[in-house]
Amino acid sequence: MENKSKAKELKDDFWKSKKLLVTTGKIADDIQGDSSESKGPTLKPSVTDLREWDMKLLKRYTPFYAPFCDMCCLCTYGKCDLTGGKKGACGIDIEAQQARIVLLACCIGSAAHGGHARHLLEYLIAEKGEDFPIDMGTNIDIEAPIMRVVIGKKPRNLGDLKEALDYLEEQMVHLLSACHTGQEGKSIDFESKALHAGLMDDLGKEIGDLAQIAALSMPKGEDAPLVELGLGTINQEKPVILCIGHNVAPGASIIDYLEDHGLDDDVEVCGICCAAIDITRYKPGAKVIGPLSKQLKFVRSGVADVVVVDEQCVRTDVLEEARKNKAAVIATTDKICLGLPDLTGVNTDKIVKKLVNDEIEGALILDPDKVGEVSTRVARQIAEERKSLKKLPDLQEIQEMAKECTECGWCVRVCPNNQPMMEAVTGAAEGDFSKFIELYKYDVCYTCGRCEQECEVNLPLISMLTKVGEHYVKDEKFNIRAGRGPVQDVEIRRVGAPIVLGDIPGVIAFVGCSNYPEGGEDVAKMAEEFLERNYIVVTSGCGAMSVGEYRDGDGKTLYEKYSGDFDAKGLVNVGSCVSNAHIPGACIKIANIFAKKPLEGNFEEIADYILNRVGACGVAWGAYSQKAAAIATGVNRWGIPVVVGPHGTKYRRLFLGRADKPENWKINDLRTGEVVQGEPAPEHLLYAAENREEATVMIAKLCIRHTDTPKGRQIKLNHYLDIHKKYFGILPEDVYKFVRNEKDIPITYKKEVTNILEEVGWEPRALPQEPSLMKFREEKASDKGDSNE
Amino acid sequence: MNERVIPWQPTVIAGPKQALLVTPETAEMMIVKAKRPLIVVGPLINDNPAQVLVSKIAEKWNIPIVSTGDAFKSLTEAGVPSKSYGLVEIVNLLKDPEWKGVSGEGNHDLVLFIGVIYYMGSQGLSTLKHFAPHLKTLTLCKFFHSNADASFPNMKDEEWLKYLEMLAKVD
Repeated sequence: MENKSKAKELKDDFWKSKKLLVTTGKIADDIQGDSSESKGPTLKPSVTDLREWDMKLLKRYTPFYAPFCDMCCLCTYGKCDLTGGKKGACGIDIEAQQARIVLLACCIGSAAHGGHARHLLEYLIAEKGEDFPIDMGTNIDIEAPIMRVVIGKKPRNLGDLKEALDYLEEQMVHLLSACHTGQEGKSIDFESKALHAGLMDDLGKEIGDLAQIAALSMPKGEDAPLVELGLGTINQEKPVILCIGHNVAPGASIIDYLEDHGLDDDVEVCGICCAAIDITRYKPGAKVIGPLSKQLKFVRSGVADVVVVDEQCVRTDVLEEARKNKAAVIATTDKICLGLPDLTGVNTDKIVKKLVNDEIEGALILDPDKVGEVSTRVARQIAEERKSLKKLPDLQEIQEMAKECTECGWCVRVCPNNQPMMEAVTGAAEGDFSKFIELYKYDVCYTCGRCEQECEVNLPLISMLTKVGEHYVKDEKFNIRAGRGPVQDVEIRRVGAPIVLGDIPGVIAFVGCSNYPEGGEDVAKMAEEFLERNYIVVTSGCGAMSVGEYRDGDGKTLYEKYSGDFDAKGLVNVGSCVSNAHIPGACIKIANIFAKKPLEGNFEEIADYILNRVGACGVAWGAYSQKAAAIATGVNRWGIPVVVGPHGTKYRRLFLGRADKPENWKINDLRTGEVVQGEPAPEHLLYAAENREEATVMIAKLCIRHTDTPKGRQIKLNHYLDIHKKYFGILPEDVYKFVRNEKDIPITYKKEVTNILEEVGWEPRALPQEPSLMKFREEKASDKGDSNE
Repeated sequence: MNERVIPWQPTVIAGPKQALLVTPETAEMMIVKAKRPLIVVGPLINDNPAQVLVSKIAEKWNIPIVSTGDAFKSLTEAGVPSKSYGLVEIVNLLKDPEWKGVSGEGNHDLVLFIGVIYYMGSQGLSTLKHFAPHLKTLTLCKFFHSNADASFPNMKDEEWLKYLEMLAKVD
């Protein structure tokens, strides 16, 4: 940070001066680290510094809007009706309003990760000190690829991360302010800002994960152990502490307290959502209950004696739900206080006494270390008394309840996926619980609870589902590979070339939440499809857990079957939501390590490289949150396409290409200085698929890139054709768009593809040697000349 | 309120503009009036009796079919020709007045939807409601779609299939 002071007048025996300005700052070497690379043009980019790059993306991948609401209700002029081309009282039109809401969503998501990173960093600095080193081991030199590009800094210790967070927070204020009435007016500029918010999201995630990896000794890209997953892994005879959310600090403190007091074997510590993943990265003995979709089910089950919530994706009625079975609730961050008394400064014995005696419903404790002690002591003291609450009711009881159903059908209508809850209930009334079990498995019903809100006879539908499910599948045990954090530089050296040349057909990342249209099994099946085909499959967050809840034909989980290497046929769980930063991080490293592109301040060149050469594709099949919106938008700015599930259309905006317009796919060949006809690769930047089958085909297609060698293109096309034939019965009509010359045609489909090429009058075309959306050098020089004039 | 015209998923209500409730007779009038109609068929009617009726409607009025999701395979196996697009892709094309349509003769002026996932279909219909003033939308599902220009009401299967039969009936 720079400090300035201005003295009005300085008088001394040997010096006299007026209006003397003294500036002190950090030593340059400290700011820039030990990097000797030259700096690019966009260090700490402002809101508009990368606008030119955004416009290139948005020209090719035009925003597609699907308004969720016809009106704007953000100010007191409104509500304003924006249908039929009408503008609101402030002058905004429906396109700009959609883009404004998208920006708002991305700001919320990015703020959640940035706030999370701030919490973690402040806590870890308080625990370990600013000088605590960021040492990622001998296999990682580029410890913070996003930070290197955006901030231009190699962080040496925890304190160095503060500068990046300060920058992020400044940008977020500007971005959020653009959502105010009477600020930005064009959809395209709202989108550019949303992309910037996405970039800030990437930065926040990287800071958060880097801090916790370094300070809490989480895996540093090395092979991580398998950890237990599933309700059946919990020993209900022991006291159970459940952590929900994303911030590892409270969970880590609980584990520390147990270890320090020799209680590791006496208490079960488990988690839901990313808190689960991160506590197992901290200590593999902790257990993962599962993704977000398990939340209400598990809390209602009564198994947890103490529920510890931190931040993000926690049900806002968690206190009410936990209290239904007398579990104690401890809130641990300023984001979620739940109306509970702040007992942070109160003596631990007193807090424990109040909770055990049920004098208070729960407590807000903003000191993670205190949370560790209180939650453990409370769980141990109330577990015995709560044992009766964990017992399953007789199925007969559920059958009697089910007989109350009036068959109005509204439980089905209000279900986000119109799942057949009524059928499950009417079946149960007859003693047939099979439909309930179908809804329970793979979280086909993800227990949002909207059906209960609507039930005219107030049936506790989720509790009924939970209890039926537990009777039949409560002993199910799975596993997941603990989040390993970043991809190592040595791995990038090994796979960089095969990825860029196409020998490895793609890197596919299954990320995000569990708002699945038909349960988590779809995610696992997609992962399995691509693993069998030699793709690198990356997972994180709820997606990683859904993959773990599936067994193949041999009864193995995919984590048991495939290695955790970042290589063909590798299944790499990077970790929690914040670990998603390592996915664009790996792509950035490919540009740097394999292609020698400088990092510092060089965003556009890096993103251009990734867009045109790195066959990566994100899949957020159950994306529901504003964080997921920010995550997708963030990787989009780096040039990585994303496929979302059908619910993703509710985000209101996609980025779609037009493959039917060849002029949209012209590309600069920086090697020859010529503009050449390119191909729709990748065809879309943000795409929503209706079902798994469509998504699988699209994912394979979105891994095609300009720089595939003929061999690489054959491999990629072979998978695309194969998968298309599997799910659509025929070869894709558009295959000719991806055949540059005869050498690209997969041998197994030679005859059929040749027929298609002949039908459409296909002609071979030149391959760009250095495909790019960036300007030619002469254009840049000319622009510079213009600006100098 | 008449339950038949509350959107099937009630919370998709987007604002003041609601679909017109139509009978098979009114739907037929809309088709007759259209110059270049199109049917978009989603995967929810894969292997459903409605699939056969849709193919009869297409045959009767000589309307091309676009299949979304993985409906192409099911339609092909039932002997019904279609052109495959992602739902968001076809909606993106339809909103472009310059697009030449699936037959290359110009964009369509009436698009009939059936079998698309309800909430996703609702989003696509919203896109067309706002950004495609050059065409009308009509939904033939058994669910009321408030974002369409015209929609069948919420119905049980039996009544719905009768609606489709009436529309498919050759005079």
